[in-house]
Amino acid sequence: MTYYLIVCRSLTYAQRTAEALERSGITAHIIRSPKVIDREGCSHSVKISERNLADALTVLARVGLTPKRIYIASRDGSYQEVLL
Amino acid sequence: MIYLDSAATTMQKPPSVSRACVSAMRTMASPGRGGHRPAMLAARTAFACREEAAALFGVNEPENVVFTFNATHGLNIAIKSLVKRGDTVLISGYEHNAVTRPLHALGAVVKVAYGPLFQPEAMFRSFEEQLTPEVCAVVCNHVSNVFGYILPVERIAALCRARGVPFILDASQSAGCLPVDMSQLKAAFIAMPGHKGLYGPQGTGLLLCGTDTQPLLEGGTGSMSARQEMPDFLPDRLEAGTHNIPGIAGLLEGIRYVRREGPLKILERERRLMQTAAKGLSALPEITVYADPQGSAQAGVLSFQVGEMDCELVGEALGKCGIAVRAGLHCSPLAHRSAGTYEKGTVRSSFSSFNSRLEAERLVWEIGHLNRKNSR
Repeated sequence: MTYYLIVCRSLTYAQRTAEALERSGITAHIIRSPKVIDREGCSHSVKISERNLADALTVLARVGLTPKRIYIASRDGSYQEVLL
Repeated sequence: MIYLDSAATTMQKPPSVSRACVSAMRTMASPGRGGHRPAMLAARTAFACREEAAALFGVNEPENVVFTFNATHGLNIAIKSLVKRGDTVLISGYEHNAVTRPLHALGAVVKVAYGPLFQPEAMFRSFEEQLTPEVCAVVCNHVSNVFGYILPVERIAALCRARGVPFILDASQSAGCLPVDMSQLKAAFIAMPGHKGLYGPQGTGLLLCGTDTQPLLEGGTGSMSARQEMPDFLPDRLEAGTHNIPGIAGLLEGIRYVRREGPLKILERERRLMQTAAKGLSALPEITVYADPQGSAQAGVLSFQVGEMDCELVGEALGKCGIAVRAGLHCSPLAHRSAGTYEKGTVRSSFSSFNSRLEAERLVWEIGHLNRKNSR
C-alpha cells in the first residue's frame, strides 16, 4: 500500500496535525517516524493515504500547521521525500 | 474531617479524578516513548489535558501548555527564562516564596509594590509608580495565598504591555475560581498548580507560555534524540524526563470539572463560605478577621487571629476537633509583612467547591469554644 508520512517536529504537533485532518474527514494515524527518515532522531509522523495528500495540505495550510517534511512510502518499503 | 486547607491542596476532588489516575496507572505508559498502544494512550491523555487547559485559559495553541510538577516549578522556569543576575524585577507585596526565593537565588534586584490589604486601586497605583525603566520583568500573584486578596492583575498586565515589560502571573490561588485568560492578559507566563483549584492530584502543574523559554531541566524528550541540545519547540523544550501521566490523567478530569461548573460559579460558592466564616468570626470577641468589607476583592481564603493565642496552637486545637486549617506564615513572609501580621502569623481557612455552609459554621463554633476556654 502506498501512503504518505507527514513528519512533525513534536508529538504534540503531530497530534494537532492528526486532529485537524480528522476534523476535516481525513483519516490520520500518528506513528513513530521510521528511522530512515528521522534525520534528528525520534520524531512522530502522521500517516495518511495516498489519495488524501492534496486535501490534507489544503487543510493544514488553512489551520496554519506547516509539515516539516513529507515522504511517500512505496510498496517495496522505501521512502522518498516529497518536495512541495 | 472538615477540610479547610484548600489553598494548600484541595483534598476532596471529583470522583472522576482518582478513577482516571488509577486507570492511567493500569493502562498508560509514557507519551512519545514508543508507538505502542499504552504509549499512544498516554499521548492522547496528555494532549487532551493540554487542549482542555488551553480552552479554559485562552491559550491559542495546546503546545504552549507545559506540564510542570507544581506552580513553584513553573514559576522557576518563568523567572529563570526572563531574569538574570543583577536584573531588576518588580513584584507585589503579597508574593509567595515560590517567587521571592528564585529571585533571591538569581541575585536579582527586587522592587516591591506595596499596598494595604483589599485595596486594589492602591496596589495598581503602587505598580504604576514602581514600574520604572530599569524593571525587566514583573511578577504578580493573582490571589494572595494568605488573605485571599484579589490583586488587580488585568490592569497590572495592561500596564506592563503599555510599557513593554514582560509579565509573569502566579495563578496558584486563582486558576479554577477566577477568569485567567492568556489571550487577554498577554502574559509572558502564567504558572499554576494542578492540585488546588483545578482539582488535580499533587505533583501536577501547568505553565502557560507566551514567550521564549529557557529549560530548567535537560534530558530526554522523545524527540530529536540525535541532538544534544534541548528541542527549541514547546512543550518538549520544558518537559525533560518521563511525564506524570497518572497525575495528568487526573488533572484532565479536574479541569473538565472546573469547565463544567464554571470558575465564577466556584468562586461564588467559595466566597459565600468564606463570608459565612468571616461574619461569624467577626462577631466573636478578641478575634481579628482579615476580610474585605466590600467582598469583591477577596476569594475563598480567610485569615484570622484568636486573641493573643499562638496561631500554631489554634491550628493544632482545630486539628484535634477534626478541622484542617493552616497556621503560621504560609510560605509568604512578604505577604504577612505587607499586612502587618508577620510577628504573630495567622490561622488560614480556605474553602473549595466541596465545602458546605455547615462546615464554615462549625469552624466558627469551634473558634468560639476555643476562645472561651482560653479566656477562662
